[in-house]
Amino acid sequence: MKRMYIQLLSFACLCFGFAANSYAVPAIQTAQLDNGLKILLIEAHNVPMVSMQLTMPAGSRFDKLGKAGTASMLAAVLSDHTAKHDDKAWAEWLDSEALRLGASASRDSLSLSLTVVKDSLTVGLDAFSEALLQPGWRNKRFLSLREDDIAAAIKSQETPGSQAAQATAKLLYGTHAYGHTTNGTAKSLTHIKLSDLKELYLKQLRPVGSVLAVSGDVSMQEILALITPRLKNWQGKPEIAALDIQQPSIITGKSSHVSLPTSQTLVQFSRLGVARSSTDFFPLFVMNHLLGGGGFGSKLMEEVREKRGLVYGVYSYFIPLAAPGPFVITLQTRAEQAEKATQVVRDVMQSMADGKIDKKQLNASKSNLIGSFAQRMDSNRERVGLLSMIGFYQMPLDYLQHWTAHVQSVTLAEVKHMSKVYLQNNDWNITEVGPAKEKKQ
Amino acid sequence: MRILFLLLLFTMPLHAAELQQTTFKNGVKLIVEEDHSAPVAMVQVWLKVGGRDEVPGKTGLAHVFEHMMFKGSKALKPGEYSKRISAMGGNDNAFTSHDFTAYFETVPANQVDTVLKMEAERFSHLDLNAEEFGREIKVIMEERRMRTEDDPNSHMFEELSAAALRLHPYRNPVIGWMQDLQRLDIHDVRAFYKQHYVARNATVVIVGDVDFKHVKSIVAKTFARMKNVDVPPRFNPTEPEPLGAKRVDVHLPAKSPVLAITLPVPVWQPGKNDTETAALAIATHILGGGRTALLQRQLVDKQRKAFSASAGYDPFGMGLDLWYAYGMLGAKQSPADFEKALWTILNHMGKQPVSEKQLQIAKKNMVASEIFAQDSLYLRAKEIGRMETVGIGAIHKDEWLNAIRAVTAKDVQEVVAKYLRPERATTGILKPEVHS
Repeated sequence: MKRMYIQLLSFACLCFGFAANSYAVPAIQTAQLDNGLKILLIEAHNVPMVSMQLTMPAGSRFDKLGKAGTASMLAAVLSDHTAKHDDKAWAEWLDSEALRLGASASRDSLSLSLTVVKDSLTVGLDAFSEALLQPGWRNKRFLSLREDDIAAAIKSQETPGSQAAQATAKLLYGTHAYGHTTNGTAKSLTHIKLSDLKELYLKQLRPVGSVLAVSGDVSMQEILALITPRLKNWQGKPEIAALDIQQPSIITGKSSHVSLPTSQTLVQFSRLGVARSSTDFFPLFVMNHLLGGGGFGSKLMEEVREKRGLVYGVYSYFIPLAAPGPFVITLQTRAEQAEKATQVVRDVMQSMADGKIDKKQLNASKSNLIGSFAQRMDSNRERVGLLSMIGFYQMPLDYLQHWTAHVQSVTLAEVKHMSKVYLQNNDWNITEVGPAKEKKQ
Repeated sequence: MRILFLLLLFTMPLHAAELQQTTFKNGVKLIVEEDHSAPVAMVQVWLKVGGRDEVPGKTGLAHVFEHMMFKGSKALKPGEYSKRISAMGGNDNAFTSHDFTAYFETVPANQVDTVLKMEAERFSHLDLNAEEFGREIKVIMEERRMRTEDDPNSHMFEELSAAALRLHPYRNPVIGWMQDLQRLDIHDVRAFYKQHYVARNATVVIVGDVDFKHVKSIVAKTFARMKNVDVPPRFNPTEPEPLGAKRVDVHLPAKSPVLAITLPVPVWQPGKNDTETAALAIATHILGGGRTALLQRQLVDKQRKAFSASAGYDPFGMGLDLWYAYGMLGAKQSPADFEKALWTILNHMGKQPVSEKQLQIAKKNMVASEIFAQDSLYLRAKEIGRMETVGIGAIHKDEWLNAIRAVTAKDVQEVVAKYLRPERATTGILKPEVHS
């Protein structure tokens, strides 16, 4: 957007980009309500719509032991009905105004989101604040939703991906708060009661430390005028702050096999990555792009797919969280050749750990990341995601302005160092999902 | 791949800039929608070739070909294409359906000229190498294993589509039957290239921060210089009307059952069947769209006959669409009960008009979806390319919303009564096989 922004409470954007990238990053405007809620906004007036997301420290890391899926069910219940509207009346109201209201949980946070056409912003915020502040807690409806979630959890066990996600979480984190998937399992869901949801709601859904990220055809003045009266009775701080979390123990060299009657075996390598606050983030980000985060240009794709035709896809990613999140490499291949593919991945890791990376490869990754930066924020949906991350994990508000400079400044020595630290074969754990091993021989 | 589980979603511009288009002498078409809100552009090259253009025994060939487009040309080594796009800060990929093949690049706007030159080069001078093919066909078999063989739901839908139709090419999976993939060779690929990858089959779509006149001059120097070759009309046989209900049981190592029904229904032909197809789209939205979706509300929430249920209709196909509805069932829920309850709802809709409220909700949400779709350059370009390539014509796309707005409750009742009848349906049941 090449327009001037109202300097409300906004941080002036003093830098106009770097040599490598002349893209004028849209300014982030910020405000804080009296109750402590942070609001982050990027204006975009090209489509008559507004998207927003309220992110609160109430993710699946707060699920009690044996009750995996609690945060996720709380999200489902909050967006399903309220004290004023049962689920049927609620659905009719939202649909009759075309309000896209949803809620979901991730490891660290629970989010309530709203997408509306501009004309429906006021009524949209009525619904949004009602969902947040007037939960319905209808037990009969909760039991129905839980029963459907249990059936879905059983169904999901047909697919190697969800089996692997569960097995890897357990393998890598054990009893740590990240040691289960957000959706939970058929067994853990049966142990959840409505009172568990209420408890999480009362303890963690508080304005202090929460972030409302907004992008679209709206100004900060308009948003404040609509939000302030609606959320003024929402008060307090969460029992546990967003970034207050125990460090996970380091697990290395473990393996896990899940038996599934499939033709392929899914192989998932895992180890701990970094926390969002880590100074390793940018060097690791660039290193991962080279390894398997950069699609067809990446080393894993080159070696496992392009040169050997062993897989359709192989990729790596790390998830920076409040504590170090997982660093994962995943592939699926015909069961008979799983060992061969696994060895190729190990060889790629070893060669990178040994420093076999050249400047040309590094520059290719950096130019892709820097050149595609504008694409990371060319829609309201993406901008809301970025703003939520920046606010929730307390990143500096000029994060986007400096992003390309950070990528540009990563040196070959740093990437080699990251590879040496993070790509030692013995440090990685392995999850396999597929036919029982004896069948393969 | 046609994805059966997506909710019905229409994605056409409402407030976007007007489309600008031109056709060159050799038949190449250029369609541009300028949007200067970010320095980014989406370039898509659409081909009038897809799964429907394959001959028996060669299913999967159009999709195999899509993969081969990344395997080198006169100017670029295998894999080089994507590396160059990546180095300019872009991302590229491609997709194949029964009706089309499309290649796309999201790039910084100042790189569009280079992308167009590269695209035109590989279209004209592809290097179809036997060794590269040998590796790539293995990749595609892994893709099929991942998407279909090892996924009981999509495997069942593949069987269902094959059972539902006799003539129409939607009966074959776009990824191809494994038995055909095992027999394809490089000669098939070369013949396919020669026949289908010609100027007259190509449409270049650009949405983003570009100037129409300028990109027109670049296309004039690239795609417009390809040979001018005539193309025959596309394969689009008339599917015979079903003579009675059909059923297919699919026994696979699944955890729980799925029941789906599918019926051949018409697709949109602007000016010819607007009311009928728009009414069918609205009926489908009432059944499967939003929080008030009738199937979810009735069959899941109220009657507890499934844990998830929905319906889908794609009005922008060629020849016909396989309309579908499905329920995912828990261990204690019976496919027979679900099926009966599903038909009770459909039969009722054919006998009684839907309420004015239901009608208005459907219309309002379909319009809102169009606005939200404006948020994505990818979806905007895709809708333009698709409408053009299947023969509807991108120029007609705004007429679809007018057709939606004009639908009455009586229209909905009539179209349901006409097409959504049990004797026209093919029913598929995924039956879990006890396995280890």
